[in-house]
Amino acid sequence: MFKIQVGDDGIVYLSGRLDASQVEAAEAVLGQVTQSTVADLSGLDYVSSAGIGVLLGAYKRLSDSGATLRLINLSPRVKTVFHYAGLDTLFPLE
Amino acid sequence: MERRFPRDIGALDSIFQFVAGFFASAGIDASQSFTVDLIIEELFTNMVKYSRDGVHPISIQLEQVDRDLIIRLVDFDVEPFDLTQAPEANTSLPARERKIGGLGIHFVRQMADRLSYEYAGRNSTITIVKRLEG
Repeated sequence: MFKIQVGDDGIVYLSGRLDASQVEAAEAVLGQVTQSTVADLSGLDYVSSAGIGVLLGAYKRLSDSGATLRLINLSPRVKTVFHYAGLDTLFPLE
Repeated sequence: MERRFPRDIGALDSIFQFVAGFFASAGIDASQSFTVDLIIEELFTNMVKYSRDGVHPISIQLEQVDRDLIIRLVDFDVEPFDLTQAPEANTSLPARERKIGGLGIHFVRQMADRLSYEYAGRNSTITIVKRLEG
């Protein structure tokens, strides 16, 4: 089950499995973000190319307005998927 | 083990349960299902998106042969669509210059030990061999 929510601290928390069937749910929240934001992926167990696409889309939109999207607390497996995408050094990950 | 799934992204949950069931019945460590889920999701969603003339459910077959897992997807009565010939995604571009999409087959190429495509009798078959760890 995938969940995405903005915490009281302004951080976007993603958890569960971000597959192609959850793209709309992720976009609905990330699309509301207009300022530099941190996304905490510590609860994310799985991500596919569709999920990477949502995060990349949000990153590009924010970059175009001079803001950033920083991803933190990626599990080793999720980090591997970003590595396959060639985004582990380009995307601001922590 | 074989099962057919409706050509709908909403079928992914059922597909992941099918994979988990196969791993449990074959005694394969569930930690290895991450890669298999990812391979199957990328192939299945590509078939759903790009074989638009398809109306039949898509067959997913899993078979263990020694330390190899054979993953086979069959899309029935469709025009040929050879994913193995898809151009390589350029993963060296800066994030801001990246196109959204096109990464799926790149992931499959990265993760699969062997990848082949066959088209016969209007059926598209993609076969992946993934070496199991341990």
